[in-house]
Amino acid sequence: MDRPAVRRVVVGGGGTAGWVAATALVRHLGPLIDITLVESDEIGTVGVGESTVPTCFTFHKFMGIDERAFMRATQATFKLGIEFKNWGQVGDRYIHSFGTIGTRASWMAPFHHFWLQAKADGFGGELGEYCPEWVAGEANKFITDDTRPLAYAYHFDAARYVQFLRGLAEPAGVKRVEGKIRQVAQNPQNGFVDAIVLESGERIEGDLFIDCTGFRALLIEQTLQTGFEDWGKWISTNSAVAVQCMTDEPPIPYTSAIAHQAGWQWRIPLQRRVGAGLVFCAEFMSADEAQAKFLTEIPGKPVRDPWALRFRTGMRSRAWNKNVVALGLAGGFIEPLESTSIHLMQIAVTRLIEYFPFNGFDDALIGHFNHKSRREFESIRDFVICHYHQTEREDSPFWRRCRTMEIPDSLAERIALFRENAQAYQTQDDLFRIDSWTQVLPGQRLYPRGYHHLARMMPSHELRQTLANMRTTIANRVAKMPSHPDFLNSYCPADDA
Amino acid sequence: MNRQPVQRVVIAGGGTAGWVAAAALIKQLSPLIEVTLVESDEIGTVGVGESTIPTTRTFHALLGIYEQAFIKASQATFKLGIEFENWRRKGDSYFHAFGSVGKSVWMADFQHFWLEARNQGFGGDYTDYSLEAQAAKANRFETHEGSTIGYAYHLDATAYAKFLRGLAEPAGVKRVEGKIKKIEQHPETGFVTALELESGARIEGDLFLDCTGFRALLVEQTLKTGFEDWSHWLATDAALAVQTEPVGPIVPYTRAIAHQNGWRWRIPLQRRVGNGFVYCTEFMSEDEARARFLAAIEGKPLFDPRLLRFKAGMRNKSWNKNVIALGLASGFIEPLESTSIHFIKIAITRLIQNFPFGRVTDAVTDHFNRQSRREMEHVRDFIILHYAQTEREDSPFWRRCRAMELPASLAERIALFRDHGIAYQGNDELFRIDSWIMVMLGQGVWPRSYHQLARMMEPGQLQKALSDLKAGIAQQLSRLGDHQTFVRAYAPAE
Repeated sequence: MDRPAVRRVVVGGGGTAGWVAATALVRHLGPLIDITLVESDEIGTVGVGESTVPTCFTFHKFMGIDERAFMRATQATFKLGIEFKNWGQVGDRYIHSFGTIGTRASWMAPFHHFWLQAKADGFGGELGEYCPEWVAGEANKFITDDTRPLAYAYHFDAARYVQFLRGLAEPAGVKRVEGKIRQVAQNPQNGFVDAIVLESGERIEGDLFIDCTGFRALLIEQTLQTGFEDWGKWISTNSAVAVQCMTDEPPIPYTSAIAHQAGWQWRIPLQRRVGAGLVFCAEFMSADEAQAKFLTEIPGKPVRDPWALRFRTGMRSRAWNKNVVALGLAGGFIEPLESTSIHLMQIAVTRLIEYFPFNGFDDALIGHFNHKSRREFESIRDFVICHYHQTEREDSPFWRRCRTMEIPDSLAERIALFRENAQAYQTQDDLFRIDSWTQVLPGQRLYPRGYHHLARMMPSHELRQTLANMRTTIANRVAKMPSHPDFLNSYCPADDA
Repeated sequence: MNRQPVQRVVIAGGGTAGWVAAAALIKQLSPLIEVTLVESDEIGTVGVGESTIPTTRTFHALLGIYEQAFIKASQATFKLGIEFENWRRKGDSYFHAFGSVGKSVWMADFQHFWLEARNQGFGGDYTDYSLEAQAAKANRFETHEGSTIGYAYHLDATAYAKFLRGLAEPAGVKRVEGKIKKIEQHPETGFVTALELESGARIEGDLFLDCTGFRALLVEQTLKTGFEDWSHWLATDAALAVQTEPVGPIVPYTRAIAHQNGWRWRIPLQRRVGNGFVYCTEFMSEDEARARFLAAIEGKPLFDPRLLRFKAGMRNKSWNKNVIALGLASGFIEPLESTSIHFIKIAITRLIQNFPFGRVTDAVTDHFNRQSRREMEHVRDFIILHYAQTEREDSPFWRRCRAMELPASLAERIALFRDHGIAYQGNDELFRIDSWIMVMLGQGVWPRSYHQLARMMEPGQLQKALSDLKAGIAQQLSRLGDHQTFVRAYAPAE
C-alpha cells in the first residue's frame, strides 16, 4: 500500500484532548498513519470538562466504544440537560434539556409557536412538558436501549476517561512517549514544526503535530505565535475552584449551574461523588472569598483540597496553523457553562479526520478548516454570553455590567429575532438547536412579543386537545421508566477502582 | 415603524413570480391575510425560466399541487439534469444530474472512493454512479409513488402562471386588472401605503410584494434600494428566445450548448421546444446573434425570436421596509442552472416562515436579507464556475472568462477540490456536493489528492463495492421505460 506523504502524527500532550485525538485517529485512520503521543506524568491535567453534550454519544459510536464499558470505567451518569438557577433573577430556575420539544407539525414554524398561541389563549402548560428529556429529568427517571428513546449525554470523571481512552488507543497502535517537551524544532525555511525535543534529549519527528498542551499552547502559540482572540469583554469570568465531593445522594440526570453574585457554580453528579466547581470573575471576587464561599456551599466532603484555575476566554486566531492543529485548551477556551469543552475537541478531531492532509498542507484546506472552527466557537460563545447578558439581575456590579455590556452582532440579531417574532434558528456549524434557544431565552426572562400565527388557523379547542394529548403521552411514557439511579445500577455500575 | 398588524398583502405584477407568491400565500395563510394581485394584460411577462430544479417538487407538495394536473396544464416534461456541451472545450460534453452519486460515509464523500479506484485503474466515470445521468443518457424516465429518482420539470412559464392563477383565484386571491401609475408612501417612515392604478383605483396594503420584473417599481423606483452589479463576473447581458416545433424524441434533460460568446438552451416541452441564445453584446451584435441562433436551432420557429436585455446582479436588499422583491425585481442570474423559479419559491417560502404578523422589524428583514444574499451569491459562484473554469481560448469572450478574477468564495472551493477532492454545501446553499463535483470534473478540474480511506479496504473490496453500485443502477435503469412514452401516458398536455 502507498503511504501518504503526511503519515507521522505527533500529539503533544496527553490529557483529555490528547487522548481523544489519539484514540479517534488510530481508530479511524490507523492503517494509514503512525501516531505518537508525548506526555509527562509530572504535568497535571485540567479536568473541568466532566459534563458533555449529546454529540459525545455519536462520537463514541463512530469509534465503536462500548457504552457500558465506558460508563463503568468512568463512573459516568446520564445527562438529560442542565438546570439553571438564579440566572434570569435570583430565585429563578429553568432547565435546558436535550431532545426535541413537541413535534414538528408544520414546515412553517417550529412547535413553540403553537405553544405560544396556546399560552395567549390561556392554556398549554409548561414548554418542558412537551419534551420527554425535561419530564424524565425532573422525575429523575431514565432509560436507554438500542432505539435510544431519549437524547442524552454523560457526566463522567475526566481523569478516568483519559485512562479509558488510553486503554483503547495504546493496544490499537498509539505509541506513548513519557517525557517533558524541552524544545520545538522548526524548519528554518517555512517555519513548519519538524520535531518535538524532550528533556531526555529524545527527538520526536513528525509531519503533522497536534497541540494538546493546554493553556500553554506550546506549539501553536509559543512556537508559531498564532495569536489569540480575547473574548474577556463578553465573558469576564476568569477563575475557578473545583473539587470532587463524597455524596450519599442518588445521582440526578442533569448538571446544575447555579449563578452567584460574580459567576456561577456547577454540580455534576457522578456515580459515587459529585463534581463541584465555582466560576468567578476575579475583578469582583477575591480568590479567598471564592474559596470560602465554595467550601461552605459544596454538597459533601471534598476528596482533596480544591484546586484553583485561571483562564482566559477566547480562541486561537487559527486553530490550524502550518502543520500544527490545536485541540482543547490550546485551541481556545469557553467556560463550561454549557458543557462544550469536550465537544469542541471531538468535533475538531472529527473534522481533522475528514480533512486529513494526506498529501501536504495548503491554504485552501487549512482556511476551510479554520473557518468552520471559528463559526463553531463563535456560535457557542454567543450562546454562553446570552446567559450572562440576558438577565434582569442587578444585585451586583458583575451582573450590572453583564446586563449593559455590548454583545456581538450575531447574538444581538438572535435576541432581537426571538424577542420580536419568537424565531430561533440553527445553521450548519451551530451546535445549539432551535429548542436550546427557545428554552434558554425565556429562561433568561426574554419573552417574545410576537410569534407565528399559524396556530390561529386551527380551532382553539382543537389546539387545546392536541397539546393536552401530547403532554399526556409523554407523561405516561416517562412514568414507565425506571429511576435514573436504578437504571445506572443495572446498566453500568461503576467499576471498583 | 409600522405598528399596524400586517393583514393586507398586495402583489404588484403577475407573471411567474406574482402568481407563485399569490398561490403560496393564499394556500398557506389564507384565513390570516388578504391577498390582492395587480397586473395588466398589456404588460408581457418574461418567460425565460422554463427549466426548473427539484425544489419545485417540494414547493408543489407544500401547496398540495397534484403533479399530473400541473404537468397537463403546463405542457411539462421531466428533467433529470442538464447536459453541458462545448464548455470545457469545443466538442466536449458532460452531465450535471439531479439525485445523489454513489454512496458516502461520514469520513469522506463518494468521490474519494471513486478517485482511489481511478488511481488503481478502474472505476469509470463519476456519473456512472448516478441513476439520473444514466437514465437521461438512455432517454428513460418513470415516476410513481415511492420512487426515489431525483427530477424536476421543463414547463411553459405562461401556462404555469395561468395554472397557478387557477388555484389562487378560487382560493381567495383578488386579482385587479390595471397598470400601476403611482406608489404612495408614508410621509415619515417611507413605507409603501398604496398602489394607485391608471384607472384611479387605489389599492392599500400592509405588505407589498414587488413582482414587477426588471422595472422593480417598488423596491427600486420607489424605495431606491440599490443594485449590486455582477456583470464583471457574468458578462452575458442579452438573450434571444423562441419556441420551435419539436424535432426528435422528447429528452428528459435541458441542453446548454456553449458558443463563442455565450451559450444557448434547449428545453423540450410536450408539444414544442423552448430555445434561447444567451450572449454578450460587447462581443456580438443582435443581428449576428439572430443569424447564429436561427442557424443553430432545430425545428421550425413559431415566431420571430424575442430579445431580452438583462444585467447580472442582485438588489442590495430583497426586503426593504414593507416591500419584498421577488423574481427579476430582486435580482438576476442567467438561467444556466435553471434557478430563476427556485429563487421565487425559496423567497416566498421564507416569507411565509418569517411572516410579520406584528410589525416589520429590522431583525426579521436583516435575517431574511442575509439568507437571500447567501443564496444568490452561492448560485452566482456556481454559474461563474462554468465560465471561468474552461480551456476555451477561441474567442475574446472566452479568453476574458478564463482570465477573470474569481470571487474568493469560489476560488477557495476550486482550490479545495483541485488539491484535496473536497466539496461542500454550506448554509443556505442550493447546490449539493455532487453538483459541484459533476460540474468541476466536467469543466476539467481534476483533484490532485483525495481522502485515502479507501486504501484501508481489503484488496478487491473497493472494486466490488463500485461494481455493486453500478449493478444496482443498471437494475434500476432496466425498470424504467421511455420518457416520452411515460409523459404521454402519465399526463398528456391539454
